[in-house]
Amino acid sequence: MNDSTTTHPEAPPYLKAWDDYVSACQTLCERLSNPAAPAAGSAVPLAFLGSWKDFAASLGMRPDAAPGESSNPEDQFASLFPALGYSREYQEIGRRMLDLTGQFQRRYAEFLQLSADIGQSAFQATQRRASKDDTLLASPAAIYDAWIDCAEEAYAQAAHGEPFARLLADLCNILSGFKIERGKLLEALARQFDWPSRAEVDSLHRQVHTLRSAAVKAKGAAKTRTAAKAGRSARADTAAKVGTAAKVRMAAKAGRAAKASAAVKAKGVAKATAAAKPTPGAKRRGKRKIRKTPERTDQ
Amino acid sequence: MTTTESFARLMSDAAAMQERGQSALRALREIGEVQVGLSEKTCVYAEDKIQLHRYVPLARSARVPPLLICYAMVNRPYMLDLQPDRSLIRELLSLGVDVYLLDWGYPDGADRFIPLTEYVCGYLGRCVEFILEQNAIDALNLLGVCQGGTMSLCYAALEPRHIANLITMVAPVDFKTPENLLSKWAQHIDVERLTQSGNVSGEFLNLVYLALMPFRLTQQKYVNLLQMEGDRAQLENFLRMEKWIFDSPDQPARAFREFIEWFFQENRLIRGELTLDNRQVLLKNIRCPVLNIYAANDHLVPPSASIPLGAHVGSEDYESLQVDVGHIGMYVSGKARKTVPAAIARWLQERKP
Repeated sequence: MNDSTTTHPEAPPYLKAWDDYVSACQTLCERLSNPAAPAAGSAVPLAFLGSWKDFAASLGMRPDAAPGESSNPEDQFASLFPALGYSREYQEIGRRMLDLTGQFQRRYAEFLQLSADIGQSAFQATQRRASKDDTLLASPAAIYDAWIDCAEEAYAQAAHGEPFARLLADLCNILSGFKIERGKLLEALARQFDWPSRAEVDSLHRQVHTLRSAAVKAKGAAKTRTAAKAGRSARADTAAKVGTAAKVRMAAKAGRAAKASAAVKAKGVAKATAAAKPTPGAKRRGKRKIRKTPERTDQ
Repeated sequence: MTTTESFARLMSDAAAMQERGQSALRALREIGEVQVGLSEKTCVYAEDKIQLHRYVPLARSARVPPLLICYAMVNRPYMLDLQPDRSLIRELLSLGVDVYLLDWGYPDGADRFIPLTEYVCGYLGRCVEFILEQNAIDALNLLGVCQGGTMSLCYAALEPRHIANLITMVAPVDFKTPENLLSKWAQHIDVERLTQSGNVSGEFLNLVYLALMPFRLTQQKYVNLLQMEGDRAQLENFLRMEKWIFDSPDQPARAFREFIEWFFQENRLIRGELTLDNRQVLLKNIRCPVLNIYAANDHLVPPSASIPLGAHVGSEDYESLQVDVGHIGMYVSGKARKTVPAAIARWLQERKP
């Protein structure tokens, strides 16, 4: 199936969309107006498919290269034998990258096939809609919108299925593998030129991360200690203040009690002088008076 | 209609569209760079790539604890303040809410070994502590959006004493529901391999997002763009959205791997098997009031991924709010704008200490 567009790959998306729109409308109008024509699902461009290939290319893969194609013809010959000699490590990396490119191409072809099936289902659904609604054929824009709706429905049905999920994951995993191999190659290159390599920078980042974690922990611990110390000194201060106040109160109380006792004694002596035996009521009143006096003083 | 008639119609249609398209292109050239995130704010705390912003109030204070917004790491948070008339943050400010925003920034190679724990308990935790200290309070209101909602749930479960009220918005909780397409795709991805060679690029994430609805997102919307003629306001809206969609930060390798493995592949959060900072993350530890807002037509976080939260939190004060929009519509659609900020402000007001 055709997953390429007539516009330049770097063209703004709305120009691609314009191309796709015209192309889709044209195909749909032609095919839907002529029910005898063969199903046209595959003829309607599915523009989004190119994105995965573009992404692969951005990682340095050559997804359009013919299977087994290499920039160097000697590589094809060499691929028949195990890697040997001075550059065997690089050869191994190169081979793994070629192998991953091949894997990507195979899975991508399956992806295209699956998408062709989606396009086919979408076209059939659009056809069913058009047969029920005559006005659709009167407007290319309406047909286009109907096609988009049907395409999304068909796509969603496939996308929720296990085969699609596996396919997409495979594409992703293959590209991840390719990126790892590419990294190894760049690493080797950086070492040769004595440039800082990714591994070197990673190592520094790990050290920085470890140091930062330690610093954060230490800062936290110091904060906790400071807080605890502040708490202790605050408690001590409070205790000291409480203690002093209590002492002052006790001294005052003792003083007042002594005074009161002296007063009672003096009163008792006076009363005893007045009467040989005091009444219990007079004693109680005297005690109440003694209890109330310090409270008033406190206030 | 015959083929010839259809073709003639197509041609006239195409000519008209071309004319409109040219007018749209002319207007696009004149627009230049669009501005986003215009509400006035100050960076009050920064650490590594993260920044904590506090927005300048726009109305008299509603006298509720400050609201910290924790957005997703996979997109930029200015979606919440895209433009003055499409801004959740602005609406909240005008309702008297004191808004803070945690911006995760653009992680680079220096962040590739930072674990998810550090993002949740470290960066987010320190932002919370900063706000608590700055305002001399014991607990704040936390609003977690999308992936940030999941992270907020983890934090609230670990540090419940710091959270007065928790709001989650389009936040996944159950990652393995039949409608969750992203999760289905994630099951077979070798994340260890994906992150072995460094951070996961924003371009890769974009590719995956576009693959969720490829026909609408890579074709139809650009056809619609050409139909906009020279409507400058509409074109500017489109460009702001386009900027946000493709402004995807690279994802720090280790944290991303842990997030995909623990949440998408193993669904640890809802199973009570997640451990962060050597502590078990149990949703039942969240006992503060919870408001769970989700979008009925969300293609990224389907409602089935958010709704189960109610059955797992320990809170007796749990409310959910369904809004009839899509994932992105939750932030910018007119429908959400009318309901969501007011609902949040009212809900917070009703629970003010």
